[in-house]
Amino acid sequence: MLKKNYNYKIKDLPESLKQFIGLIIITLIVIISFSILNGMFGEGDELVKRMKIEEERIAEERKLNKLISSLPSGILVTFDGTDHYKLTDEVYEQVCNATKLIPQRAIMGANFLNFRAHELYTINGNKIDETFVKWDQEKGKCFAGFTVSGNNVGVDESITISGEALSFLSTGIDTRVYFIKNF
Amino acid sequence: MKKSIIVFLLSFLACSSVLARSTGCKEGNCDNGYGKWVYTDKTTYEGEWVSTKKQGIGIETWPNGYIYKGEFKNSVWSGIGTLTFPDGSTYEGEWKNGFMNGQGIFTWSDGKQKTGIWKNGKLQE
Repeated sequence: MLKKNYNYKIKDLPESLKQFIGLIIITLIVIISFSILNGMFGEGDELVKRMKIEEERIAEERKLNKLISSLPSGILVTFDGTDHYKLTDEVYEQVCNATKLIPQRAIMGANFLNFRAHELYTINGNKIDETFVKWDQEKGKCFAGFTVSGNNVGVDESITISGEALSFLSTGIDTRVYFIKNF
Repeated sequence: MKKSIIVFLLSFLACSSVLARSTGCKEGNCDNGYGKWVYTDKTTYEGEWVSTKKQGIGIETWPNGYIYKGEFKNSVWSGIGTLTFPDGSTYEGEWKNGFMNGQGIFTWSDGKQKTGIWKNGKLQE
């Protein structure tokens, strides 16, 4: 009887009010559903933090790409006495942070001072396991290196060669480590 | 008009691919005699050749600044030679199988020097 009364009361309400109440109910359902889903699968603050870090990384990458495209194409050096483009200390750090690649001749040059690495590199078809280019905040220098590994006369070996990255090649699109001084 | 644009584009592509792969003997005789060979990465060798191998005196210049001037045997740095590193450091002395092997002097770019016997690129202390 009571239920029937409520039904009649609702039916008697003006159409616009009924639509408004419906809209509020739908909105509440959507909000509650999302809250439940977020509680179940969402990572809340952690996700926001990660997104912010990613956004900062993208912004930094864009800044570095802009710098790389503004540099002249060719060899960029950090030392005096050559005809090549000399990097300032500030740009040297930025170029270091933007550089990811180490071409074959730079690897071959670094291998001059490490015969075992050279052997391993040659035996394994000039294959490099990993390369790294990183800025050493403490020393204020850029370091680059690579790891060669493989089987040398029945023995599994892994050798990491690293040294100061003293010159880079700017292609206009990216920069590459051109000279690793490991002596 | 359309045809000429297509012909122009095709010839441009053909020329650029030919130039990109421009490797080989650029001057002289690279079989037996004196000649200059340029590799795809712009490394050059200018010197003596015997049976298509680097043999005798020559200069090898790498695009990243390494310059070897001296003797070659079987296309490898062997004999007496000088390697100049991109930063100006040098090694002057004996070479074998492409490595510093024998008596030599290493001079760093700041003028510091070390003389000694080298074995496979390593100074024997």
